[in-house]
Amino acid sequence: MAEAVGRALKRALLRRQQMLVLAAAGAIVLLTSAVPLARLLSEIFDAGAAALGVLSAVRPWLLLIRSVMLAAAVTACAVAIGAPLGLLIARTDLPGRRALWMLHAFPMFLPPFLLALGWFQLVGREGFLGSEVTDRLLFSQVGLVAVLSLTFSPVVTSMVALALLGMDASLEEAARVFAGPWRVGTRILLPAARPTLALAAIVVFALTISELGVPMFLRVDVFPAAVFARLGGIQYAPGEAFALVLPLMPLALGLLLLERRLVGAGSFAVAGLRGMSRAPIPLGNWRPALATASWSVAVAGALPLVALALRAARGGGFGNLPQWIGQAPWTSLGTAVIAATAIAAVGLVLGHGAARGVRGASLLDAMAVLAFVTPAPVLGVGLIAVWNRPATRALYASAAILVIGYTARYAVVGIRAVASVVLQSAVHLEEAAAAAGARFWRRLIRIILPVNLRGVAAGWLLAVVFCLRDFETAVLYYPPGGEPLPVRIFTLEANGPPPVVAALAVAHALMTALVLVAGVLLLPRRSPE
Amino acid sequence: MERLGSSIVFLAALVSLNPSCKRTAQEVVVYTSVDQVFSEPIFKEFERRSGIAVRAVFDTEETKSTGVLNRLIAEAEHPQADVFWANDPVRPFLLGKRGLAEPYVSPSASDIPAAFRAADGTWTDFAARARVLLVNKKRVSPGEMPLSIRDLASPRWKGQTAVANPLFGTTTMHVAALFTTWGEEQARAFLTDLKSNHVRIVSSNGEVKRLVATSEIAFGLADTDDGFEAVKEGAPVAVVYPDQEGMGALVMPTSAVLVKGGPHPETGRKLVDYLLTPDVERRMADSAAHMPLRPGVPVPQGLKRVSDIKAMQVDYARVADDMERIQPWLRQWVGL
Repeated sequence: MAEAVGRALKRALLRRQQMLVLAAAGAIVLLTSAVPLARLLSEIFDAGAAALGVLSAVRPWLLLIRSVMLAAAVTACAVAIGAPLGLLIARTDLPGRRALWMLHAFPMFLPPFLLALGWFQLVGREGFLGSEVTDRLLFSQVGLVAVLSLTFSPVVTSMVALALLGMDASLEEAARVFAGPWRVGTRILLPAARPTLALAAIVVFALTISELGVPMFLRVDVFPAAVFARLGGIQYAPGEAFALVLPLMPLALGLLLLERRLVGAGSFAVAGLRGMSRAPIPLGNWRPALATASWSVAVAGALPLVALALRAARGGGFGNLPQWIGQAPWTSLGTAVIAATAIAAVGLVLGHGAARGVRGASLLDAMAVLAFVTPAPVLGVGLIAVWNRPATRALYASAAILVIGYTARYAVVGIRAVASVVLQSAVHLEEAAAAAGARFWRRLIRIILPVNLRGVAAGWLLAVVFCLRDFETAVLYYPPGGEPLPVRIFTLEANGPPPVVAALAVAHALMTALVLVAGVLLLPRRSPE
Repeated sequence: MERLGSSIVFLAALVSLNPSCKRTAQEVVVYTSVDQVFSEPIFKEFERRSGIAVRAVFDTEETKSTGVLNRLIAEAEHPQADVFWANDPVRPFLLGKRGLAEPYVSPSASDIPAAFRAADGTWTDFAARARVLLVNKKRVSPGEMPLSIRDLASPRWKGQTAVANPLFGTTTMHVAALFTTWGEEQARAFLTDLKSNHVRIVSSNGEVKRLVATSEIAFGLADTDDGFEAVKEGAPVAVVYPDQEGMGALVMPTSAVLVKGGPHPETGRKLVDYLLTPDVERRMADSAAHMPLRPGVPVPQGLKRVSDIKAMQVDYARVADDMERIQPWLRQWVGL
């Protein structure tokens, strides 16, 4: 009897394998991000009228409008820089375009605050190229837009370049028979990359509107600062802070709907480097001018790092590094690797589900997007409320809480990266395996993962880098004695010797560069087509 | 697949080398708003002497004094810290009001003046700073030297001064102390005057120091340690203890609190005992320009003793009450 029940149960489980695997991945997203946010929702009810009263004041709404306008300005600038640069890198004979791409893209993998610090060393009043005028410009809304535009424009460049490299060559080849390079670029290639461009713009907008560190450093009041004032100020009011997050929810939902409407399934079609080997479009007489402009943008983005390195070298910061760096690089690297592995696993299941239209996957994807755009301190307080319990103390008091926090915030990276490659892979392989009787788990491990391995690995690498650059989420709950490197940089910034802080920032940049190089070298090679 | 597998094995090996994976038998968890650059060497010395591993959480410059305090409050149901080392004497009251301070009379504190010790042992002060005016000597002649914090509101210096955001850091306490000393009406009028006088509100005291040191402003309000750092760096900065002919300068000792319900109460007591030794006061004087509360502790050249300056006479408990009470108004004042 028991044996029969066991067999029946096993059969039922096998039948529902996909649902169970999806539920397991969904549970990770829910436990790490949805539950903490829901927990804070209850704080609004606890706080009562005071929490909602905060929304009746005019000032937060004015700040929200300002933040939206600043985010729109940064997005416009990033698109203006990134779209042509992506086109030039992907499809033209621009000199040294691979090196240019790497140089231009690198700053986007670093904490934006660190770059702002570098800009300060460069064009602040006492900076290497500084004057009263440059200092005033830096510490203004113009400075904020400039710093964030240069920081986030590589997102647009890289996504557009990847989209163009993955594009079907026949369209472009047909156009080149009749049209010149300019016409091919503006009439064929950029319109073809429009869905990706829209997605890149949404990503930049989301990154900018949730940014707190750079606006605070540059003394520009923004909406996340109003949220933070209720969590970092003397009157600890998580209910009020979360009430302030409520207006961001329709904004996040709006972005999501906009993305689905403008971009649809095509939003994911960004992977591949096949086009790099295609014959590039000759730029002719424009080549020197465009090369100068492109390289200038790339060098400008990297200048803050040069300034930090100079500051560190001139003040003996590198010599004092061993005294101050502690275990932070190990903590950063270890937790980022583990979190990225969890994110890649979740991304494999949910990204595949979202790309193939599996019920529930899109909802979980939306949840991941919400956790990504919610101001980091709010998510951090929610994580404390949920995970600081006797039963979970071992997790909360250890580096595991960093892994949980990173997974909560960056699950969306894994989901989107995997979805993008799954959409480009043939569904008939999965269908054939299913027809041959392979259950979901077997298809996932034997078909879906190997076929999309490069995309999953790329998502993993991207997640590692996002975790490495995180500061604002981790700073609220990092385990005692186990701070990641960005947190250590900013806690030491308080009265710490500036050359040492600069040296730590350079060390962080080097660590990120090493991870990227190692990751790219270890990334599975594309099999010959 | 093999390449990916080998990558993961390589990274796992790398991670396993992480020294933070190793835990010693005895440890103590401390949350501190004292700058990491000053507090961490003290913890390392304690580790060396006691063999007890110190696991610390530090504040950033922007959230100074409130970041870790709020974390303590957020974790109140299940405290994770054993000791709170506050960078001012008011935060311990906020902790005490929430029932998070464990009474402990440390034997090391017997020679600290009684005014700086809670009768019930919930907090003990030591190593103090004062709120001072940092003045740029290039922009301000000796004859024009500001002598009072009221000079921040003087039309003579319109648009040429700065204070740190009073929602965070020691400026919160200073503003609250003004409300306690002057009363509601006068304090609000002063802050309104600061706004009319285009006083810059910057992210931190460190930022005030930077603006003064780079001659971007004439003077600003910060802490003694900021001033001494600027002087040490060779900046053209004079440190002025304000209101020596009037209400005096605000003195802010750091404070040690044993956290109620912390996971390691025994080692927590040992760390509190160590923090309250004359040796730590001496170290804080040498490295961080903190004024010892004990008369016998030597101070480096140029650093005043608490007894050498006229201090504001304030009841820190009342300041703590006022600090919480004025927050909504202050947020409006700041514009958040």
